[in-house]
Amino acid sequence: MLTRRGLLSGLGAASAAALFAARIGAAPLVKVKAIGTLRVALYKDNRPWSWAEGGRILGIDAEIARAIAHKLGVSIDLAEISADESVDDDLRNAVWKGGLLGFQPADIMLHIPFDRTFASRNDQVAIIAPYYRENFQFACRRGEIDCDGSPAAWRGRKLAAELDSIPDFYLIGALGGSLSKDVVHYPTGWDAVSAMVQGSADGVLATRAQIDAGVKGQTLIDRRRMPLPAFTSAGWDIGMAVKENSRTLGDAVEEMVAAMAASGELKSIFAQQGVEWVNAKAAG
Amino acid sequence: MNVMMRSLLGVAALALAGAGSAVVAADGPTDADLVNDAASTGDVLTNGMGPRAQRFSPLNEINASNVAKLVPAFSASLGGEKQRGQESQPIVYDGTIYVTGSYSRVFAFDSHTGEEKWEYDARLPDGIMPCCDVVNRGAAIYGDKIIFATLDARLVALNRHTGKVIWNKQIADYQAGYSATAAPLIVKGMVITGNSGGEFGIVGAVEARDVNTGELIWRRPTIEGNMGTLRGKDNGITGKTNASWPGDLWKTGGGATWLGGTYDPETNLIYFGTGNPAPWNSHLRKGDNLYTSSTLALDPDTGVIKWHFQTTPHDGWDFDGVNEFIPFDATVNGKPMKLGAKADRNGYFFVLDRTNGKFISANKFVMKTTWADGFDKNGRPKYIDANRPGAPTAEKGTTVFSSPSFLGGKNWMPMAYSQDTGLFYIPSNDWGMDIWNEPIAYKKGAAYLGAGFTIKPVADDHIGALRAMDPKTGKIVWEYKNKAPLWGGVLTTAGNLVFTGTPEGYLKAFDAKTGTELWKFQTGSGVVGSPITWEQDGEQYVAVMSGWGGAVPLWGGEVAKTFKDINQGGSLWVFKLPK
Repeated sequence: MLTRRGLLSGLGAASAAALFAARIGAAPLVKVKAIGTLRVALYKDNRPWSWAEGGRILGIDAEIARAIAHKLGVSIDLAEISADESVDDDLRNAVWKGGLLGFQPADIMLHIPFDRTFASRNDQVAIIAPYYRENFQFACRRGEIDCDGSPAAWRGRKLAAELDSIPDFYLIGALGGSLSKDVVHYPTGWDAVSAMVQGSADGVLATRAQIDAGVKGQTLIDRRRMPLPAFTSAGWDIGMAVKENSRTLGDAVEEMVAAMAASGELKSIFAQQGVEWVNAKAAG
Repeated sequence: MNVMMRSLLGVAALALAGAGSAVVAADGPTDADLVNDAASTGDVLTNGMGPRAQRFSPLNEINASNVAKLVPAFSASLGGEKQRGQESQPIVYDGTIYVTGSYSRVFAFDSHTGEEKWEYDARLPDGIMPCCDVVNRGAAIYGDKIIFATLDARLVALNRHTGKVIWNKQIADYQAGYSATAAPLIVKGMVITGNSGGEFGIVGAVEARDVNTGELIWRRPTIEGNMGTLRGKDNGITGKTNASWPGDLWKTGGGATWLGGTYDPETNLIYFGTGNPAPWNSHLRKGDNLYTSSTLALDPDTGVIKWHFQTTPHDGWDFDGVNEFIPFDATVNGKPMKLGAKADRNGYFFVLDRTNGKFISANKFVMKTTWADGFDKNGRPKYIDANRPGAPTAEKGTTVFSSPSFLGGKNWMPMAYSQDTGLFYIPSNDWGMDIWNEPIAYKKGAAYLGAGFTIKPVADDHIGALRAMDPKTGKIVWEYKNKAPLWGGVLTTAGNLVFTGTPEGYLKAFDAKTGTELWKFQTGSGVVGSPITWEQDGEQYVAVMSGWGGAVPLWGGEVAKTFKDINQGGSLWVFKLPK
């Protein structure tokens, strides 16, 4: 947790003082325990992290949320939120303000990027408990295309990507746009991976978690081992957000998550979805 | 109402029909009444005060010489805590004023007293993601029905006497990002609507439904490659697949028709504007991206596109082309012509031949357009390539100043056309935006390459400007400058008057020929609705909704300083001259 402390101190003396004042004024952990329910916001339709099936919310984030509520000794209220144009908007809708149509702010939201620049412009929330390191990967059907070959060789094959995502920008823009006609778009990275698994695409560029979970049990899928040329995203940490004045809750959750990382509990929750857990860089 | 009363009213209607002005039929307004709305001064039956939406009234009891005496007759509150932007235009019929309110509500008020007759509150799911406040822009009336669209993309027909639901149809899936806020258009017994949800990778469409049942009659997607339907059967694809879109992006190409349309009975065409293409980053979608940021002329009987005109080919600035296309007639170079005009979000005022979409002229109606330096004789913009926002990269890159801002030289708020002065009155805004690549961006928890922007005024003394545009010369005849951005519709009358509201809370009246401000009234909250006028009991009335909101307050920066002291509200205001 040393990295995170360093991050917070970087926010400057004025906001540190403001944080301190807010902490004295609020006791959200006590409130959560008194009410007996932890309200957790999760992304809707974000497989393998959180998605609804048969009236229940499944996924890695859902299970982490349930484990946290269990450890706090409270019941859980999982609230699905549709992603807005940016995570900044999602934090406003789900954590610190609430939705225009009555969505009640959650006590905590999972799957929030843990990034200094991002955190400093979202000062209405505290971003805590980094629990996973995510990055983009390329996977393909064995024998269809050469995963480790030059992307130029993929011309004319179907390449799946989530619409309007970094994978989409990369595939459409790569090599002067020569692959742009080959990109097949899907609403989510999960759908893009599924399309490849089912054979309606030859390759997919998606997050590693989407690929891990999507190709679980498949043997004829290869992963690209070397970096994609001129691919700029080096990966990012994923954490959680609480309202800026809910830091007592944030501190308690952070300790639990650190313990879950140490005990192997996180690893096993990820493994249930076929995803190999990689700890966040910031969690050191 | 019982049968006896209905038949009594029928008799009354017949008598009145002979007398002239007010249309009151027992069965309610007919197609013919809607077509005649611009001329029938005793009611307001359509969004735009006539199918052509000229927002012109031949009434002149209230005029430039006496408007200074205008006083409130009554005010009616929408009540509750749901006080958001009130962008509705009232409908007036048979002693009742119908308005829609924020959060998909409908109210029926007595047009003599302001007393509420009934209220309908749509039950909205909390998972809706409205891009730009929870507004509604008005209802339609037909027969015994009041019809309006809801934020969760439903079309609801209510009994106009009781407010009880007659039918309620889902028109799109709100969970997929669709919404609906525009006033429906009714043509030949069909409710014709567009769709909204431009920010979520959807495909725009125009749809016609049976006014009595809500059943779909035809559907016309606005993006090339997508199949249209007529009475359950395929009716040809829109445009030509991949003619102006790469790969499969036409399947999610945007082009939402979120502002509704106008109808010209003379040419039997309906005109719908289309929104910006998706994704936002223009470098991913080479080509013109038809038919985004365009005006489409459709055959109301089949939904077939008769012509199109694209105002911003290959949009890279979020210049929706949804703005209303207003049919009007004028003599150009000695030749009488059937024309139409549109003041576009991109800052240009377009005049087209409305029979075939042929380009006549495009003239700037805002102070600054950085993206293009006018249009050539074929109606293509002369782009300034250096001012196109760059492809997103992992580097911050240079900041480009772009004007108009993505909120547009003119946004949703409808202009008016005076048949007396021959001028269009455009509610416009002079603002631009700094735009840059934002490498540290995230979407749905994942790394993303976004854009950052700040909206800025272009001038020191104003953002809003009501401008009188001569469509024959492209010259601005007069302008009224307003400190805060203008966000309300315009009304013009044969009394040599132009009315519009301001975020500062005023409804104002101007001399239509000179722009001199003649009257103003403080309504207590910002005015972002569209004023109307009608005649009742021998007197002329003016009405407008008050209630600050809409997309403007969602953006901060320097622009926000101009409206920081404006309070929320939600009221109908009705004015007349004192006796």
